[in-house]
Amino acid sequence: MQQTQTITGVEPRTRSWLPVINALYYVVLALLLLGFGYYLFLNLSLITLYLPFLLQAAGITIGISVVSMLLAVIFGLIGALARLSRFAPLRWIAIVYVEVIRGTPIFVQLLVWYYGIGQLLSNHGFDPYTLVFNIMTIFQSNSLVPLAFSGFFYGVIGLSFAYGAYLTEVFRTGIESVNKGQTEAALSLGMNSRQSMRHIVLPQAIRITIPPFTNYFITLIQDSALLTVLGVAELEQTTGAFAGPLINPNQKLFIYILGAMIYLAICYPLSLVSRFLEGRLGRAYQTSGDKMDALKADMLDSDMLGKQVVSFYEDKSENE
Amino acid sequence: MSLIQQVLPFFLIGARNTLIYCFVSFPLALLLGLLIAWMRSSRIAWFSSPAKIFIEVIRGTPIIAQIFLIYYGLGAILANYNLSIYDNAWTAGIAILAINYAAFEAEVFRAGFLSVEHGQTEAALSLGMSSGQNFFRIVLPQAIPLMIPPFVNDFIYMLKDSAILSVISATELTSVLQFFVFRNSSQTIPLYALAIALYLLMALPISFVARWYERRLRAAL
Repeated sequence: MQQTQTITGVEPRTRSWLPVINALYYVVLALLLLGFGYYLFLNLSLITLYLPFLLQAAGITIGISVVSMLLAVIFGLIGALARLSRFAPLRWIAIVYVEVIRGTPIFVQLLVWYYGIGQLLSNHGFDPYTLVFNIMTIFQSNSLVPLAFSGFFYGVIGLSFAYGAYLTEVFRTGIESVNKGQTEAALSLGMNSRQSMRHIVLPQAIRITIPPFTNYFITLIQDSALLTVLGVAELEQTTGAFAGPLINPNQKLFIYILGAMIYLAICYPLSLVSRFLEGRLGRAYQTSGDKMDALKADMLDSDMLGKQVVSFYEDKSENE
Repeated sequence: MSLIQQVLPFFLIGARNTLIYCFVSFPLALLLGLLIAWMRSSRIAWFSSPAKIFIEVIRGTPIIAQIFLIYYGLGAILANYNLSIYDNAWTAGIAILAINYAAFEAEVFRAGFLSVEHGQTEAALSLGMSSGQNFFRIVLPQAIPLMIPPFVNDFIYMLKDSAILSVISATELTSVLQFFVFRNSSQTIPLYALAIALYLLMALPISFVARWYERRLRAAL
């Protein structure tokens, strides 16, 4: 906080008008919110018509994201262990995996999984849709299998494979961030390397990986919208399918806005949670005084950079 | 092999267009991001709240939803006013990439300015510098080196996200890929491999340079 001192003959610069202007702003904000509410109210018929279907599709989006994230954790753990293994070829494979995935668009990867690899496998007799259809026929409920099951299958695999690569780096930095002395101490106490990993390193590493993990989950939910191109009826595909045939441009725009608002309603609370966790878990590691150095180090940390983890800074700056 | 020779020129044109999209959008995103960062850190609610709302909305919605909203949703409105010539894949794509990344760059700018210790600003002000002088002579020169790695990282993300523009039939690499995949559906794997190789060729050199710079910077700090 700045301290003002009165020098004789100089009027101190006051900012007493600032709170007034700010208060006025909140009035305007309330009016704008009311206006937006009125805009929603004007389109109430569209909402009652389409919202139930959109919410159903949002459920599918969440389902896809959760399943993909669980699989991605498995890919990520395998990748991180391979990346840290003492066996060099495993390390190289992990490095190539991470670099190739991080260097190419997820969109193209999904196309490769579905149209490239999926088609190749189906030419050789493996088709997920037919397989599941036949299995469900045994249980006399094959109508439960959606027509786009192959899209689901390869979409989930593509998403989890891609996020596995991102999580590989997250887990690796998490494991490496645990002080090496701890492993040495565990080993000297007679634990074997697996025990020290299981009881000493991983519990501490997980703590550090939770904030980037939640951030990746948010981006995963957003990237699951790309399954649109595989014909999976998730939220974005459903939004487009409803908005496309509408002739009235205002109604068309409104449906797109509605779809985006549902994504916002899913992602914003999650980002609040992740920021809260960052604040909680980050504080435990902050020694007093070197907050600035910590901020600088985070900015340089290649896995804490840019798009994914920008919210990391927000919490710190709020503490200023 | 002959297939790859046949399609390579078209793929290269696609890759060039991808680069054009990014090199046009990224400076726009930086400018807009700087503006938003400045608004966001203002103490006046008239500036800071809209910037906060903008950042949260952009970060909370998928880019593909934004693309559809701008290209089809706003495009329909524009067509209503006989302005549909302004709604094509180039304008909509560049606008979306710039708007989307502005939200992320704004946060990078803010973090960069925050990483310059406040004591320096206090010292500059007490030496009689104006706040503008303080910003351009003290804060900015120290913040820029720290901001370059996140910017480069975001540029690579933009390079990858531009692939999504193929859903509005932009003429970039992924659209070219899809065009040829639907033409030779018997032999798709080489085409995909070529596209992936081109993306890696564009992204990896940038990321290696960025990492080298990062290491140097880390050593310097």
